[in-house]
Formats: sequence, structure tokens, C-alpha cells
Amino acid sequence: MEKLINFLLSMRWQDFIDICLNSYILFRFYVLFRGTNVFRVLIGMTVLWFFQRIATSLGLIVTSWVVQGIVAVGAIIIIVVFRNEIRRVLQAKNLKSILWGLSSKSAITPTEIIVDSVFDMAHRKCGGLIVFPGKEDLSDAVQGGIPWKGMITREMITSIFWHDNPVHDGAAIVQGDQISVVGAILPLSYRDDLPSYYGTRHRAALGLAEATDALVIVVSEERGDVLVAKGNRLREVRQKRTLEQNIQEHLGIAADKKGAVRKGGLEIGAAALLSIVFITGIWFSVSRGQDTLVSLDIPVDYANRANGTEIVSTSVKSVSLVLSGSGALVKSVTPDQVSVRLDLSTAPIGPNVFPITSDNVSLPPGILLREVTPEVVEVVIDETVKKQLPVQIDWAGKLSPELILLDVIMDPESIEVMGGKRILEKITTLYTEKVPLDNLSGRGEISAKLALNPTSLKIAPGSKDKVTIQYVIRKRE
Amino acid sequence: MKYRFTITFCICITIQLLLLLPLHPLKDTNAANAGGLKLFQALMCEEVVDNAPRNPTMVFSAGKEKAVCFSLFDPVTQKTVIYHNWYHRDVPSARIQLTLNPPRWSTQSSIQLRKTDIGPWRVEITDETGRLLGVLRFSVTD
Repeated sequence: MEKLINFLLSMRWQDFIDICLNSYILFRFYVLFRGTNVFRVLIGMTVLWFFQRIATSLGLIVTSWVVQGIVAVGAIIIIVVFRNEIRRVLQAKNLKSILWGLSSKSAITPTEIIVDSVFDMAHRKCGGLIVFPGKEDLSDAVQGGIPWKGMITREMITSIFWHDNPVHDGAAIVQGDQISVVGAILPLSYRDDLPSYYGTRHRAALGLAEATDALVIVVSEERGDVLVAKGNRLREVRQKRTLEQNIQEHLGIAADKKGAVRKGGLEIGAAALLSIVFITGIWFSVSRGQDTLVSLDIPVDYANRANGTEIVSTSVKSVSLVLSGSGALVKSVTPDQVSVRLDLSTAPIGPNVFPITSDNVSLPPGILLREVTPEVVEVVIDETVKKQLPVQIDWAGKLSPELILLDVIMDPESIEVMGGKRILEKITTLYTEKVPLDNLSGRGEISAKLALNPTSLKIAPGSKDKVTIQYVIRKRE
Repeated sequence: MKYRFTITFCICITIQLLLLLPLHPLKDTNAANAGGLKLFQALMCEEVVDNAPRNPTMVFSAGKEKAVCFSLFDPVTQKTVIYHNWYHRDVPSARIQLTLNPPRWSTQSSIQLRKTDIGPWRVEITDETGRLLGVLRFSVTD
């Protein structure tokens, strides 16, 4: 229990957002694509992904590689094959329904009116073809058609298929409580096992049912029969009750509405819970499951040095850290997210040895420190003092052989510098940078900067950092 | 009135003390006058001919044979020794003991120049107690 609490405490707030966000995205995918083939394929891809993980953990190299390849191209396959379904979901619904709504409030199809109309048409031997789309998009299978968008009434259906109506030979497509399209041309079935008395209308109904998940009702003009095409079956329906049940079953209209609402709520709740569980599992698998090592060279930050002191020398300027964590986290670690800090506030003047522990190392959450090289750092701290030192010119190059440098006047002759007491005790002279002799002759004035060595030395405030040199050169005797 | 004599006395004593103090700090080569020994002249030169420096300079070519540190003491009250301490970039290179005789004495020391001697040099002239009498600075170049 304690381990679990510690583990939860080690999680970042970003981790919780990460899990929640992805769980919600998965949940939305479920809400938008449930019942469609896209969702089934997504589930299949997920199963494949798990299979690939298991294969990897078992060391099945080729299996893992093949499944990984399938999963990798799976996203492209889904987009290409199910582009129509995806487009329908994204186009048909507004942004709110995509991001928030649980389900669009689709109008309930008045099945009773349709069934009565159909049997009335059959009784009067008025042919008809009524399509009830399933989850699949019909735009690829159905050609032509005239947008109608009329509320379903008995008179409406009768008038559409009235033999003098120009669109009566086509199919009427029902969506919700509306007839959305009339006069639609359906693909024909090419089966040769159909009875000879089946006409074009029957073949059209069966053709669409074979190509899609739609349910099609055919009313025979010659025989006055009512037939239902679904999948690759075309069967006669003699009773209204049977036809109504077929339609309701296809449209998912439950007789018990309260039970249906309860069932729908349970289904949504279960989906939400499963999404959280699934994404949490994925998150732990990705972020905590693996153990990857990485080595980084990080500069040491020597902090809180006391006033009036300075760091004379350090044994290292950077240390090598071996860090571990999940592959995803370790790969995202950059050197600027890691710091090594030594607190010098209590360090006395002189040499100090600091062991580098995890307390000195700042790491992103989820990353652990495995090794530090070197394990200790030596820091020499000295008292900062000022010292006035004579300056000497560091001549370089060559004068002409017949010339000699007779005299030099330097201003200032000495300069005050600041530095570690121990260092300045050993230094008796400040040297200038190299001053070339090659082009000098006669009298003249030049200036030269100081070459401070060691570099920890600083020019004291108010002192000059360069000297003016007046020289006299004459011919050798 | 009874303090007039005291005030006059104090003023006289103060003036006397101020007159006794040196007006300027002593500088390197003409400063030292310890124990009756005074460094009268000190310079770097290429050679000494007849006890006189020749071609004084502050830069020596490493191609030359030697660098000479010439020093002249006047007066020298008693026989004593001095040292020419040669430093190459603050690192002691040579310590040469030289004897001085009264009443006036010039002496010199020198180093053989090599390619490895290139850089800034200084010669500190000290008495036998280590008191610094003067510092000469020069460079050895290519």
C-alpha cells in the first residue's frame, strides 16, 4: 500500500492530464464510431498491438516485426478504407457533438407508418423500394437520387411510389423520421439463383443489401409481395408485425425505451471506464514499463559561495550522469532539464571534497539517477584579496639586428588585481599580452592589455586593464 | 600666557619631525641605502667593457650569447656581498653571489641565452640579508 502511495506521489500532474486527455480521446472515438466497421477495425488493431507487445516480450522476433509492420500501416489503412465513414462522422456532426455530445439525438423512424404504407402498397400492387441505411455510408453504392427531406407520412410514401410519379422506379432512402432521397439507383445483384419472377427492383434491393449493411424493403408490383433484403438474403414477409420487428431490429429501436436508455447509459459508462483503464495501462506500459539508461555530461553549478571568497580550482567542470527511466521519458530528457548543484555556503576556505549524491542532482520526474562519475568533486575556495602588482612587458618578435631597445616608460607601472589569497601570494608580477617588436623603431607609444594568469584573477575596480608603453630604440654601438 | 611656551615648543618639535621625514617614497634602484651600501646604477646590457656597460637594453635576442646585469654601488663602506637573483617568469633561474669592496664597486652577472629562455625575465638585486636593493626587468625574444 505504501509503495502504491509513493508511486502515485511520484506521478506528475502532467501524467494525470496525459491519462485523462487520452482516455477522453479514446472515449470520443468510441462514441463517434461505435457500431461502424471503423471501430471494429480499431479494436482489431489494438488487439494486434497487444499481440505485438507480447511477441516482443517473448522474444518472437519475426512475429513481432510483422505485427509491428501491420500496426504501423494500420492507421493509413483505416483512413484510406474507411474514409467515407470518417468523413460522415466529421461532416455530419457539429464540433460540439464531436467533442462533447454523447450521441446525436436522431429522430426515431416511424416504423408503424412505413409498415402500414408498405402493406397498403402491396395490397394495391404498387411497387416500391425503401432503403434503411445501417452504419455504413451508402454514397459509393447508391447513384443518382433527388434530395427530398420530407417527413414520413403514409400519403408521402404512397405518392412517391405512385406509378405516375417520375421517381417511382427509384428507391426512397429513409433516415430518421425523414425520407432523405427519392429516385435513387441501387446496384443490381448478379446472382443467378434468384427466382425468375424477381424483377429489377428485387435485384436492386438485393444488390444494395449485399454491398452494404442496409436493409431494403421491396414491394412487388406484379405479385403484391413484401420482401426484405438484408445481407445476401431476400425473404418474403407476410405479416406487418414481422416487418416492423425487422425494421426496428435493424435500426436498433428497442421496444422497451427505458431499458434501452439504461442499457445505453451503462454502455457509455463502461466505455468511459474501459477507456481510462486502457489508456492507464498503455501509459504505464510506455512511461514506466521500460528501463532505459542514458548518459549525460552536466556542468556542475557551484552555488552560494560566501561573500569575499572565490573558487580557485575545481577537480571537474562537469560530471557524467547515468540516468534511467522509461524509454519515452529518457529519450525526452535534455541536458537543460538536468542540473548538478553544489552548495558552497558552508564550505570553509581551502580544499573541500563534496560527494555528489542524488540530493545534488535535479532530474525531471520519472527519471532516476543510477551513477555519477566522478563521485566526488574537489573545490578549492580562497579568500578574495586585492594586491598591487608590478607590470612587466612581455616583448615578442625581433628588432632589427642593429637596433636595441634602450628605454621603456610604462604607465601605470603597477596595477591592483583581485583574486584568491593563496594565488596572489605566489604572484609577484603581472605580464602584458605579447607586444611585438618587429615594426618598432625610434621613439613611440603603444598600449598593451594585461594577460591575467590564472584567469580567476580580476582587475580591481578603478584600476586600468592595460598599460601605455613609451619606448626608445636606437642603433647599437 | 602660561601655555605660550608649551605651544611654541610643540610647534617647533612638529616642524622638526616633518623636516626629518622623506618627502617621496624611495624607488627601486636608487632607493636602497642600507648599511652604508647604495646601489648607484643598475641596468641590463649586452656586455661590460672596462667596467662600463655597453649597449644597455631591455630586450635580448635568444640568438645573442648572453644577457648581463650590471650594478654599480657607491658608496660601499665595507666589504660585503650582494646577490643577483635571476627569475624567468617568476621561476627562480639563478642566484649569483657577488662581492663588493669599498669605497665604490661595480659588478655584473650574466646568463647564457638559449631558445628555452624566451619570455619575460627579472633580476632582483639583494644584499646579504635579502633586502631588495633593485629590480631589473627585461625580455628574451626570438
